[in-house]
Amino acid sequence: MNAVIETRGLTKTYGAVRALDGLDLTIPKGGVYGVLGPNGAGKSTLFRILLGLIRPTEGEATVMGGAVGDVAAMRRMGSMIETPRFPPYMTARMVLRWLALEHGVGGETDIPYWLERVGLTQAADRKVRGFSVGMMQRLGVAASLMSRPELVILDEPTSGMDPPGIQEMRALIRSLAADDGVTVVLASHQLLEVQRVCDRVAILNKGKLVREGLVTDLTADGERLRLIGTPIEKVLGALSVKATRDGEAVLADVKRSEGPALIRALVEQGVDIHEAKWVGTDLEAIFFTETGSVQTPEADHAG
Amino acid sequence: MLADAIRAENFRLWKNRTTLLWSTVFVPVMAVLFGAVGIFVMKASEAKIAADTKMPPEVMELISNTPINLAEAISTNASKMDNPALLLFVLIGAATLYAGDYRWETWRLISARNSRTNLLLGKLVVTALLSLIAMGLMMVAGIIETFIRAAVFERSLTFALTGEMFGHFLSGLALCWLRIVQFTMMGMLAAVATRSLLAALFVPLVVGVAQFFSPQVLSPMGVMPDAWQAILLNPGAAMDALKIAVLSPEGAPPLPDGLVLKSVVSMALWTVVPLAGALAWFNRQDLSKE
Repeated sequence: MNAVIETRGLTKTYGAVRALDGLDLTIPKGGVYGVLGPNGAGKSTLFRILLGLIRPTEGEATVMGGAVGDVAAMRRMGSMIETPRFPPYMTARMVLRWLALEHGVGGETDIPYWLERVGLTQAADRKVRGFSVGMMQRLGVAASLMSRPELVILDEPTSGMDPPGIQEMRALIRSLAADDGVTVVLASHQLLEVQRVCDRVAILNKGKLVREGLVTDLTADGERLRLIGTPIEKVLGALSVKATRDGEAVLADVKRSEGPALIRALVEQGVDIHEAKWVGTDLEAIFFTETGSVQTPEADHAG
Repeated sequence: MLADAIRAENFRLWKNRTTLLWSTVFVPVMAVLFGAVGIFVMKASEAKIAADTKMPPEVMELISNTPINLAEAISTNASKMDNPALLLFVLIGAATLYAGDYRWETWRLISARNSRTNLLLGKLVVTALLSLIAMGLMMVAGIIETFIRAAVFERSLTFALTGEMFGHFLSGLALCWLRIVQFTMMGMLAAVATRSLLAALFVPLVVGVAQFFSPQVLSPMGVMPDAWQAILLNPGAAMDALKIAVLSPEGAPPLPDGLVLKSVVSMALWTVVPLAGALAWFNRQDLSKE
């Protein structure tokens, strides 16, 4: 596996608090990689170390094959962490020009391209002091992509965006990975969003890696057969199949290999089956199981 | 790359027009205005001054018939560029440059892709450029003032530049530039240490005031003004000594033995120590807490 980011025993302590606790993580090249975790799990600390903003207490990290701080390697990476801020007297176009100069890349021609790609063409010549949080996020993403990096780290890229904006950002992230060959590493609290956009995820809790893998593999664990039919619950009970109600449907705990036999048995018992499909455990359920967090609406959107 | 850092910082400075205006244009404009007012007041009281000083009419006539040498005026002004007003307003620009990334939380946008040393040195170079611009405009203000003086007093203007004058012009300018940049480097260290724009502005000012009063504090302790301690603590006095040594103005007292060496060491220390301190601090700094 060709890794873009590798950490070995990465530890960061703030006094008595261990923000990262011996983290071993390998992020492969290609696709979209999600880093999940409740507040205080160590996501932001990890990103700050990878960007060289802070030093680890112990352990090491490499980015694009070079140690953190190796400018040649770091120049192959773009980033946007937390809500980005910019000099307020600059317009969006000026910000990108400034960062292109700072990064030693990009001519004037790249600026309209990236402004259009993040949907800021209309606001290109407006001072950023009047930008909404969502617009700042868009500009931050454009700024992270100005140097056409091979790896981009995005922390909460859809934070503060309206639903159409979220959809656009999701499409942009997918297209960066699929069309531009950029490896995208993102952190988000919006688990449904992560499930939709990421190929692979790592779940951190209390500074440690608690789960890692392909989203499809993780959500395939605990797969259940979702059935809509009448009458169904009594029959399932008679067949000794454990099932739980989910609205108008029931979720039957059976293995995929047992599915066809179960459906045959239900039909033989006179059940009219209107719908049958396999559903995996969603990322949200895995997240709350692994992190032991209490699922509340606030927790789902916390910063 | 240092060149990238300089280009980017320079771009940002030119887009920050408010800072640019206050730190480079304001003082020269005020200098012209106040200078012109002073000239008009002097013209209005010319007769009274002549009467008070009992100056013979022949001398008055001789003065008014002597042309003003613009080259001499420029050369003399060059060694006065480190005046407190210009210094204060250049410091506003320098503080914005050094502390701006803390204030706007923009270090995180740029620090991953360049070395921290380059980023800080880029700011230093642009601050030096800003100082030079402010000094250039101040010189233009001096020229305008000279023109006004010539017009008001109906004196002719000449431009008789000698090699000595040119040498004084260059060395005076260089010394003043060094002194201003030295002050801004104290601002750099304060900005890095405190992450505060106000500290970047006021720490150098407070240090400057303390330096100014240091002879009054040291004298009762038996430390002579030309002693090592006095000169090392007061780069302002070191600068004055160097100006006398280099420009040898008329009527200046002879410098005590060894004072030039002490002054050079003092100036070097006050230049290198803040820079080295800022670089060392910045290279180890946690930039996640902007």
